[in-house]
Amino acid sequence: MTVRRCPLAFGLLAALLLTSSARDGDSITPEQFAKLHKLIKPQPSEQKWEQIPWLVSLWEARGQATREGKPILLWEMDGHPLGCT
Amino acid sequence: MATEDFIAVTGDDWYQRRRQDEEGEFFRKVSDQAGRGSRDSGGGSTRQGIYCFTASGRLLAFKNAGQAPDVMREVLKDALAKWRKLPESERRPGAVTVPELARTDSRYTRTPPPGGLIVNVFTRLLDRDANGELCDADCKGNRGDEAARDHLWLTESEWRSLAPARAKRGDQFPLADKIAERICRFHLIDNTRGEPPLWGREEVRSRKFTITVEEANSAGIRVRLDGAAVIATHADASKADRGYDVRLMGYIHFDTAKDALDRFELVAVGDHWGDGTYTRGARPGRTPLGVAFELASGKSPSDRVPPQAAREIAEYFGR
Repeated sequence: MTVRRCPLAFGLLAALLLTSSARDGDSITPEQFAKLHKLIKPQPSEQKWEQIPWLVSLWEARGQATREGKPILLWEMDGHPLGCT
Repeated sequence: MATEDFIAVTGDDWYQRRRQDEEGEFFRKVSDQAGRGSRDSGGGSTRQGIYCFTASGRLLAFKNAGQAPDVMREVLKDALAKWRKLPESERRPGAVTVPELARTDSRYTRTPPPGGLIVNVFTRLLDRDANGELCDADCKGNRGDEAARDHLWLTESEWRSLAPARAKRGDQFPLADKIAERICRFHLIDNTRGEPPLWGREEVRSRKFTITVEEANSAGIRVRLDGAAVIATHADASKADRGYDVRLMGYIHFDTAKDALDRFELVAVGDHWGDGTYTRGARPGRTPLGVAFELASGKSPSDRVPPQAAREIAEYFGR
C-alpha cells in the first residue's frame, strides 16, 4: 500500500462527510488490518537513526570507548531517544 | 561521523540522573561540567542533551539540541576537534581502566521480565483521504509527523495466557485484565510529540477485549483479538478535555515447537483528542490516531529499552 499524505482541510471535510468503520464503532476488519498495521509502523525514511549502532548502556559504552580509543557520544533525553520521546 | 569516530550511546535522563551507583555518578560528573541539572535528593532538574566526552569523563562538547540533526553534527565536529587536541596518552586504546560495575541501583534500572515478551509499539497521527480511508497525517513540519515508539512488556505467564495450551478452535475468552489495563493505560496514548500523560485507572471508562481461537493444532495456536475502549479524562467523554475512543484488532500465534509466540500483531485505531503539559500542539478536535504492535526481534539493543510507563514499574505490571 502506498502511504498517502492528505491536506488537513480536505481530510477534515472528508471526515465530516464520510464514514469509517474504525471511527464509528465497528470492529477493524481482517481486510483493513494489514493495511493499517503497515501504515502506522515507521517508514524507511523514519528509521535512518538505526544505521548508527546505538548502545543503551553508558557503562558498556565507556568500556568500548577505552578499548577502541574513541570518545563517547551520549544522546540523553527525558524519555528514551530509542523509545518514547 | 557518529558511527566511525564515536561510541554512540543513548540514555533516559529520568533514570540516569537519579541512579545512585557508579554509572549514575559517572554520568553526573560529566553532566556537571556542562552546568546541567542539580544534585538534590529527588534527582534534580533535567540533564538531557547531547554530550561528547572521553572514557575518563572529560567533557568535550554539549548541547541541549533535542533531535535537530544539524545541531548534533556541529556538536560532534566541535567534540572531535577537541578530542584530537588531547595528548595521545589520553586517547590511546586502554588509556582508561573501566572496572565492572560493582552494583546497579535497582530502583532506577529496568530489565525485561525473565521469559517475558517484548513488543514494539508504534503510534502515528492519521488522517482521512478523499475516500474516507485512513492515511498518514500531514503535520506540515510540526511535531508529531513521524511514528512514535515504545515497548510493551508481558511476563511469561501473561503471554502464555493469550494462547492457552488446551484452547480449541472457536473458543472465546476475555483478555487478561492486567494485560488489557496495561495496553489501555500505558500504550493507547498519543506520544507523537513527546512524553504524554498516562491514563489513570479510572480514566479507562470502558474496555472489552475478546480473544477468539481461530486455529488450534499440534503445530500451534492462532488467536484473534478484538476490542474496544473509551478512555477519557471525564466520565462523560463528550466533556473530556483529553480522550481516545478506540477499536483494536490483531493476531497472536503460539508455535508449539518453539514454545514461544512468533506473532503478536495488533492495530488500534480511533479518534483521539487533547494534549498534555509536555505534548502541546495537538491537532484541534477529535482526529484519528493509530497504534501498531509487533514482536521485537530481540536483536537490537534498542529492544531492551523499557516501556516509558515502566518508570513506575509496580503500577506498570499492576502489582
